[in-house]
Amino acid sequence: MGTVSLFIPCTVDFMMPRVGIATVRLLRKLGIEPCYHEQQTCCGQPALNAGYLDQARKAAKHFIDTFGDDDVIVSPSGSCVAMVKYHYPELLGGEPVWCRRAEDLSARVFELSQYIVDILGIDDVGASFNGTVTYHESCQILRRLGVSRQPKALIEKVQGTTFVPMEQADMCCGFGGEFSVRYNFISEEMVREKAGYYLKSGADLLIVSEPGCLLNIAGYLSRNNPEKTALHLAEFLAGPETDENT
Amino acid sequence: MKIDTGNFVRNAKLEMQNQYARTFLSLLPPYIAARRVKVMGSFPDPAAAQELSRAIRAEAVARMPDLLEEFEKNAVAAGARVLWARNAAEANEMVLSIARERNVTMVTKGKSMISEETGLNDALAREGIEPFETDLGEFIAQQLGRPPFHIVGPAINVPVEEVCDLFMKKAGMQEETTDPVELGYAARLFLRDKFRRARLGITGVNMAVADTGAIINVENEGNIRFNKSSPRTQVSVMSPEKVVPTTTDALHLLRVLCRNCTGQSISAYVSIDRGPREPAEIDGPEELFIIIVDNGRSRLYHDPKLREALRCIRCGACLNLCPVYAKIGGYPYGWAYSGPMGQVLNPALLGLEETSDLFNACTLCGTCREVCPAGIDHPAIFLHYRALEVKRKRRSSGRWETILFGVWGTAAAHSAVWRFLYRLARPVLAVFGNNGKIEAMPGPFAGWFGARDLPVPARRTFRDQWRESLSKQGGAS
Repeated sequence: MGTVSLFIPCTVDFMMPRVGIATVRLLRKLGIEPCYHEQQTCCGQPALNAGYLDQARKAAKHFIDTFGDDDVIVSPSGSCVAMVKYHYPELLGGEPVWCRRAEDLSARVFELSQYIVDILGIDDVGASFNGTVTYHESCQILRRLGVSRQPKALIEKVQGTTFVPMEQADMCCGFGGEFSVRYNFISEEMVREKAGYYLKSGADLLIVSEPGCLLNIAGYLSRNNPEKTALHLAEFLAGPETDENT
Repeated sequence: MKIDTGNFVRNAKLEMQNQYARTFLSLLPPYIAARRVKVMGSFPDPAAAQELSRAIRAEAVARMPDLLEEFEKNAVAAGARVLWARNAAEANEMVLSIARERNVTMVTKGKSMISEETGLNDALAREGIEPFETDLGEFIAQQLGRPPFHIVGPAINVPVEEVCDLFMKKAGMQEETTDPVELGYAARLFLRDKFRRARLGITGVNMAVADTGAIINVENEGNIRFNKSSPRTQVSVMSPEKVVPTTTDALHLLRVLCRNCTGQSISAYVSIDRGPREPAEIDGPEELFIIIVDNGRSRLYHDPKLREALRCIRCGACLNLCPVYAKIGGYPYGWAYSGPMGQVLNPALLGLEETSDLFNACTLCGTCREVCPAGIDHPAIFLHYRALEVKRKRRSSGRWETILFGVWGTAAAHSAVWRFLYRLARPVLAVFGNNGKIEAMPGPFAGWFGARDLPVPARRTFRDQWRESLSKQGGAS
C-alpha cells in the first residue's frame, strides 16, 4: 500500500487538534502509518462559500501542489473532502492543466469513516465504550459523499455500545460557516432543535463526523447542556489516550 | 405584488416570534418528508422516477423556444388565442383590456404564481375590476392582504380564529365558528355566488403540452375547474417554462409533481383542456386566451448558469424540507416565491442587489437539491450568486469580509504566512477565553456567541503537536 496522507482541516488544526491526534492514533491502531504534509493550509471552502472564487482557487492550487502525489488522502471532515472531490475540478475548469490534476486527485480523497470501512474493509476497530450512542448525519457527508452506513457500522461494532437512533438525524444542524454568524438568529434555532433531538434520543453520547457541525453542536451543549457531550467519530473510535500502547 | 426581499432579516426575526406559525412549521420537515418518502415509494423505482422527471424538465427547458411555438400552433388550432407578454406590465394590460372589452367588473381567479409575480390582482383592482381568489388559502391570504406563506398552503399559518373573524367581516358568514368544515362551507357559499356571476375566469397553468396545445391544471378544491368551465371567457396566464414536449411527459411530471407537492399520488382534480368549448360540449369557456409572460425568462434561458432555474415545476418539495424555511416561514423571502425555490428565482428575476439575503441565508445543506424532481442544484446557484456579488463588489456582508478574504487568499497559498497569521491572531482571540472556552467576543464573529461557546484556539496546533511528538511516536511504534 502506498502513502496515506493526512488532510487535517484548519478547524481541527487550530480549534480541535485533539480530533487530528485521534485520527492519527486510530489509523495507527489499524496498522496505517500516515504522513502529514506540514505545508497544508485550508482547502478553500470558506472562500468558495462566500463567493471569493479567486482566493478559493489559490487555496485549491496550493492543496493540489501539496497533496498531488499521494496515493490516498484521508480527512476527518466530509465537507473538506467534498470541496476537493467535487468543487476543485469545477473551480479550476478554466485551466486545463490544473483541472486535470484536480480530477486526478478527486478519486484519491476519502472521508475517514469511508476510508476505514470501504477501502480498508474494517468495521470493528477494537474500541470499547459502555453506553448508548447516537449519530448526527452531517449534510456534506450524507448528501454529497453518500456516506451514512459507514460511520454507523463503525459505531455499532464498538464493544459495549448500543446505537440508538435520533429523530431528524439528517437535518442540518445550522452551522453553514458564515451563516452561523451572519444569520445567527436562525442558526441558533436550528442547533437548539438538533440538541433537543439528541437529548430526546436518550443517548449518552452524540457522535459527529464533521468538525463544523461539532463546533456548532458542542458549542451549544457547552453553553446550555454542559452535562451532555458530543465527540468526533475519530475521538470516539480512538478511545482515551491512556489506553494506547506505544 | 410588493417586493420586500430587502427586509429579509427584519421579517425573519418578526416571523420567528409567531408561535402559531412556528408550531406548524416544526411539523413540516418530519411529517411531510415521511409522507413524501411513502408516496414516492409507490413507484417501483422512486429514484428512476425522479431521474425521468429531471430528464423531462431538462429537455423541456433546452427546447423551450421551439416547444412554445409548437404549443402556440396547436393551441391556436384548437381555438385558443395565444398572447405573448414581455413583462408583468404588458401581461396585466392584456388581461385588463380583455376585461374592459367585455365590460367585466369582477373576475374569479384560480391560484397562479405568475399572477402573484406580475401583481395582477393589484392591477385589476386599480382599474375597478374586483378580483376574487377562489383557492381557499389564497382567498384567505387575499382578504387579509398578505402574500402567500407557502406555495401550496398560502394561508396555512393563519389561526382558525382569525379565519373566523375574517369570514364574519368579509365573507358574509353569519355565525362564529372555528369548525373547519363550517368555515369551508362559508367560503364556498360566498365564492359560489361569485362563480355564478363571473364572466371572466383567470387561471394559472401547471403544464402546457406542446404537441396537443392543451393546458393542465392541478388542484384539490375544484375551484380551478370552475374557473375553466363556468365563465364565458377564460384567461390562463403562464410563464414560458411551463411548456412540456408531449402528453406522456406531462403525465409523468404530474405523478411526480403531486407526490412531491402534497404527498398525494394524484391531486383531487386534474383538468386537461384543449381550446374553448366546442359546439357539442356542455361546458367550458366560449373563448380562451393563453397569455405567455416572459418577465425575464428569456434572459435566464440565455444564461448558461441560470437556465437551470427554469426547470422548477413549483411543487414546493424544497420548501417543505428546507431547515431554514422551517424556522422562518414564507414571508421573509419577500416575493411570489419562497423557500429554496424563491432563493433561486427571486434573485434571478429581480436582480441580486435587493435579494442578497435570500441566497446568503443558506447553510448549503443540499436537502433541496436532493429532493428536487426537476433536477435543480440550488446550492450551486447560490454559490454562483455569491460569486457574482464578489465580482461586482456588492458583497453585502461588508468590507471586513473582503479584506479578510484578501489576506486569507495569500495565506492559504503560503503556509509560512498562514502559520504566521495564526500565531498573530491566536493571542488576540485567547484574551476572550476562560476555562478553555470563549463565551463572548466583539467584532465580526460576535454573532456566534448568543447561544454557543467556542473552544479557545489551540496554543499548540495539530501541526505543532505533529512536529513535537506525534510524528516521532509513529516512528517508534
